[in-house]
Amino acid sequence: MPPVENPDGGTAVLTVSDVAVRFGGVSALSDASLSVGSGTVTGLIGPNGAGKTTLFNVISGLQTPDHGTVYLFDTDVTSMKPHRRARLGLARTFQRLEVFGTLSASENVQVGLESGVKWWDWHRLGRLLPNRRAAARSASTGDLLAGDPIASAASTDAVCERLLEGVGLEGLGGEQSAAMSTGLARMVELARALAIGPKLLLLDEPGSGLDEAESTALGDLLAKLAAGGMAVLLVEHDMELVMRICDHIYVLDFGDIIASGTPEEIRKNPAVQAAYLGEATVPEEVVATQHGEPDADPSEPAAEPDGGSGR
Amino acid sequence: MSNFLQYTIFGIMLGAGYAIAATGLVVTYTTSGVFNFAQGAVGMIAAFCYWELVSAHHVPVLLALVIILVIGAAVAGALVERVLMRRLHGASAERPVMVTLGLMVILTGAATLIWNPTTERSVDNMVSGQFRLVGINIQYQEVLIIGVALAVAFALRALFYSTRTGYALRAVVDDPELVAMSGVSPNRMSQYGWILGFMMAALAGVLLAPTQTTGIQIPAMTLLVVSGYAAAIVGRLKNISVTFAAAIGIGLAENYVINYVLPHLPENLVPDVTYALPMVFLFIALVTLPSVRLRAVGRLTTMRAPRVAGGKESLIAGGVFLALAVVAAIVFNNTDVKGTTLLTLGGMVMTLGIVGLSLVLLTGYSGQVSLCQFSFMGIGAFIMGKVAGGGSVLGLLAATAICAGVGALIALPTVRLRDLYLALATFAFADAVATGFFNDGHVFGVGGVTIGRILLPGLSLSGDRAEFLMVTVFFVLAAWMVLAIRRSLFGRRLVALNDSPAAYATVGLNIGFTKVAVFAIAAAMAGLAGALYGTVQGVVGTTDFDFFPGIIFVLFVTIWSIRTVSGAFLAAVSYVALNQIWPNGVGLFAGVGIILIGRAASGVLGIEPFQFPLPWVRRPTSPAVGPAGDLVAPSALIGGETSAAS
Repeated sequence: MPPVENPDGGTAVLTVSDVAVRFGGVSALSDASLSVGSGTVTGLIGPNGAGKTTLFNVISGLQTPDHGTVYLFDTDVTSMKPHRRARLGLARTFQRLEVFGTLSASENVQVGLESGVKWWDWHRLGRLLPNRRAAARSASTGDLLAGDPIASAASTDAVCERLLEGVGLEGLGGEQSAAMSTGLARMVELARALAIGPKLLLLDEPGSGLDEAESTALGDLLAKLAAGGMAVLLVEHDMELVMRICDHIYVLDFGDIIASGTPEEIRKNPAVQAAYLGEATVPEEVVATQHGEPDADPSEPAAEPDGGSGR
Repeated sequence: MSNFLQYTIFGIMLGAGYAIAATGLVVTYTTSGVFNFAQGAVGMIAAFCYWELVSAHHVPVLLALVIILVIGAAVAGALVERVLMRRLHGASAERPVMVTLGLMVILTGAATLIWNPTTERSVDNMVSGQFRLVGINIQYQEVLIIGVALAVAFALRALFYSTRTGYALRAVVDDPELVAMSGVSPNRMSQYGWILGFMMAALAGVLLAPTQTTGIQIPAMTLLVVSGYAAAIVGRLKNISVTFAAAIGIGLAENYVINYVLPHLPENLVPDVTYALPMVFLFIALVTLPSVRLRAVGRLTTMRAPRVAGGKESLIAGGVFLALAVVAAIVFNNTDVKGTTLLTLGGMVMTLGIVGLSLVLLTGYSGQVSLCQFSFMGIGAFIMGKVAGGGSVLGLLAATAICAGVGALIALPTVRLRDLYLALATFAFADAVATGFFNDGHVFGVGGVTIGRILLPGLSLSGDRAEFLMVTVFFVLAAWMVLAIRRSLFGRRLVALNDSPAAYATVGLNIGFTKVAVFAIAAAMAGLAGALYGTVQGVVGTTDFDFFPGIIFVLFVTIWSIRTVSGAFLAAVSYVALNQIWPNGVGLFAGVGIILIGRAASGVLGIEPFQFPLPWVRRPTSPAVGPAGDLVAPSALIGGETSAAS
């Protein structure tokens, strides 16, 4: 199946088409479709149990869909293992923290940085990273790494430090990540994701646990990453953050994409308001703007066994 | 035809016995998330208690059953859950496996002390007599076992799917908090699961005891229900109906193989194949199990990581260790302990230390459990004895390389499954190798395999001192290697894999490759240790690499600290010493030790009073990170200021 066109007109980095997932008798996703373009921040919002984390799992390879396809650029990755998708440039963070708790913050990032190093390349440790990774990282993180010596002769330690500094963890590289607060550990996850030099970054509630000012700073960082050419798909319940930085937003409810559009369009959409307020009826005019065919029984409870979203 | 029917009835009966034990395993796993490796040992104790009551003291059968099942097993199950398992919540993933193994060795150790293994004990059928049906004789005992198994299966199904308690029992592992919110105590549900599991293990033991034609034996009864493990795995540790059907199928297959296939095999292979059959079934069950989906479960380890010595520190410590070994070699030369020279015992410590180091790498760093490191040792020693006339460098290399290959082959089928299944596969492999290979008279021979001392050009290693120093050098090199691996990219990957498999995969790393690689390295280390052990001992035989000592040694390493080099060394010292002082108590010591350690991830060495400050190690001044809830400062997200906590 060819990739669908990105709503913003740019190159579609991610194309999800008609993805459905059922857990026993419960439909977690019903024919969900979306597209994410390079250099954009795309929001994915919806109430608890809407299927957001399940969709992230499908995209990153932790969940095989019952049907539907996932494309990364022109490559069909639907049945590809997670680590191979990551090598194509897909990185993610998790709603429930998945840091390498025994390792320090710096080592967490190092694991990401070195993920492309093969066993026969071990002599490269502590020395230059492959140029292609450096180039990708430099481009993807914009001026976050501006002036970074990575392209010349950076060691992994220096790059780690720079990435940690970029997410606000300067001086905390030596701390065991399990001992960090939730907010800091989320930043470790983000730095580790950036370390693999992603072209597509999936962020599952990165703002959870941050206060308003921190959330603003996070938004600025994501905007910078997108400006550097990275595609960002963001699941977030902080609506102010979503509305401020997203170029395009999809709304998921009971496993269906019930609406999509610019932040302004989404803000005014009665179906979105209905979904968030828990009203079952979706007005006719909204149905016309829906992406995909909503075929799930609205009365059927949606479920995200791997961790429902917490607002 | 009548033979076929006879075999079929016996096979169904055997399968029914397995089914009772297997459904007990499923019940325990479903309600507590713990695979009870002691299930067979509980059945063994019940069988011996039954013999004691009924055969030795002539207690009526029904009264004996009430005492064993309702009082003994139920109380023991409740106690085990309350005292041992409940406090393991939040412990590292391998710890419940270790504790149930500890329980297994305690029960087998206690049984050995109570019931002299050399005494023959036969258990009579509970119901005597037989009847004839379609031309074959069917014993009432067989009908009883099948009937009881069916009744248990139906009762469990009714309990699990038709009662409120059953729903709570099934839900308690998935979401204990949700269960608690519905007014049901998750702990109570887990306790019910353990009580039921113990009762079914005991029932299986008591019912299958009379089928042991040569009388009940402690190891045989303990491992009798391993076929039940295979059935439980086919049922994916959750489906009682499938487990029951699989157990019947395995009982039938086992009986058909014994009666139709074995008579066509060479006579010397018959006992080997017979012993290895349950393990073969277990292995087949593991291989055919569908892949488990990688799940993001939000696991965040709270354990404090042990300090990893730096390169310079390792070199200095290794040098000091070697110097001390030289002094010991001079001082203790020709000193005997109970007929064995102290340096030979020292050599054993060093070789077992290498096995301990392999466990540090495998279990301590990557979180995978291997119960078959002694099997690799045995294979290594066997190869050492057979290659190039024994006692050669070529033999060492061959032992190391072949064990690496065998290790990779064992790990391969289980990499797509949960770590528990690797533990089970190694459990199966250890027992199959011990009973089916090492016990074969053609492998080690009646007097064992002779392995000479290693000869190097211009260097004699034939004396005890030279031998001791050589294996010490190997131990130090292995310790250096393990620490160097931990400090390397590969070491970070191992720890990362242990901490979060989902995150590991999503940063682009191949879980399967890493698991197979580390298992192969650990197997190679154990193979090398076995080859060296052979050169220390001079002769190795069938009992050197037995199943239970292998399990007990894993527990020793876990007790001291499976995450540190020091833990591996101290485990080897204490294991060798205790074997000299009180051989019958080694199992009890290991079992009690692992229970006392409980959830302490870094064992004895991780406990505060045992952490001696090293003068050259700088202690952290103050926590750089504040308590949970301290968040990164607003301005810190984009460079500049760091967090408020810094």
